[in-house]
Amino acid sequence: MRVRRLGELEAEIMDRVWLWERPVSVREVVDDINRRRKVAYTTVMTVADILYRKGWLSREKSGRAWMYEAVRSREEYTAALMQDALGDSQDRRAALLRFVEVMSHEDVEALDEALRAARPGRPAGEAGRGR
Amino acid sequence: MNHHVLPPLALALITGLAVPWLLVRARWAQQVPRLGLAVWMLCGAAFALSIAVLPAQLLLPEETSHRLVDLLLTLHAPSPGRLAAGTGREYLAAAAAFAVLALPGAGFVREVVRARRARSRHAGLLRLVGRYDARLGATVLEDARPAVYCLPGRSRRVVVSSGAVAVLTEQELAAALAHERAHIGGRHHLLVAAAGAFSAVFGRVPLARIGGRTVPLLLEMAADDRALRGCSRDALATALYALAAGRAPRRAFAAGGPSAAVRMRRILAPQRAGHPVLRGLFAVATAVAAIAPAVVACCWTG
Repeated sequence: MRVRRLGELEAEIMDRVWLWERPVSVREVVDDINRRRKVAYTTVMTVADILYRKGWLSREKSGRAWMYEAVRSREEYTAALMQDALGDSQDRRAALLRFVEVMSHEDVEALDEALRAARPGRPAGEAGRGR
Repeated sequence: MNHHVLPPLALALITGLAVPWLLVRARWAQQVPRLGLAVWMLCGAAFALSIAVLPAQLLLPEETSHRLVDLLLTLHAPSPGRLAAGTGREYLAAAAAFAVLALPGAGFVREVVRARRARSRHAGLLRLVGRYDARLGATVLEDARPAVYCLPGRSRRVVVSSGAVAVLTEQELAAALAHERAHIGGRHHLLVAAAGAFSAVFGRVPLARIGGRTVPLLLEMAADDRALRGCSRDALATALYALAAGRAPRRAFAAGGPSAAVRMRRILAPQRAGHPVLRGLFAVATAVAAIAPAVVACCWTG
């Protein structure tokens, strides 16, 4: 359970770092989270340190406190995940199970044809919804 | 060399060559994918076992190899006393058999560990950038390209991109999600890993080569069937099309494509299966019956 909470807190901290787009202190993050729920300063400090060690946050000393900043943008991480999801990466071993694999243009047309053949009188797939 | 190598040799040929050749042409396997998968798995196990027994039979003296065939066929474990009183040659034979079995075994473990590592890395990032949607019961990734996939195993979750949420209707999305949940619930990643390990170790054997691409397809079909219990054929087929058409096609990876067309036709026009279960069992029985004469000839008259 504790591990799960720490995971959630990691996401909460990263959310704020990405949203504010500037170096943030642990105090600012704690105050912001505390508006919705109680969280201890030391807990956030520990988790921010974990994120730093994992390479997700960078930090610089400002006075007595560390100021944290995201190493990469949220979009960059999302793009990396989507690369896995779309099967674009060279590693075709199945770590993920995808709903559809990457396919060629001809294969997409074959799908379209199959869909058309199955329901005459109606335009296939997306055309029916005006896309 | 003695004639007791013949039963395992026959079994290896039947499961490694004949059954895969028949199975990939069998229509019932696609109509009842779960039964097809069971036959593939049985074939894999029987093949691994028979090629493990093969070197043992070559090493053993005739009398002992005769009894080994008996033991395997009647599924009798030798008594502990007999095991302890083995000769050096017998231990060597046992070691050879286990060494051969260890090949696909280690391949499977390697495959599972690799995939698990990749998934936990993926899940770690997903926890940071994904947003869990309780209504969908899935994690949503902010990306315009449509994608639906799942992480099976320990860090199990279904993931959809916001592009997929935008492109699919509610019913279509539900169909795609049900398909992914079927993968997770059926622990399909283990069968994918087994098929992967098999084709990595026994790459040139038809069983491994054909099974390596057929098993994943049958798993997709099994997940389609499971999803169809709760959604319409039209919704699932349209979801398949919308996700395939909504992304930039890549020629380099066209290999994954045709399977979707096969699935699509199957979803839309389910052929009358007749008595698929009976047909499947018939195929299994045929394989067993084909082995039996060799065994009888070898051990009851030998």
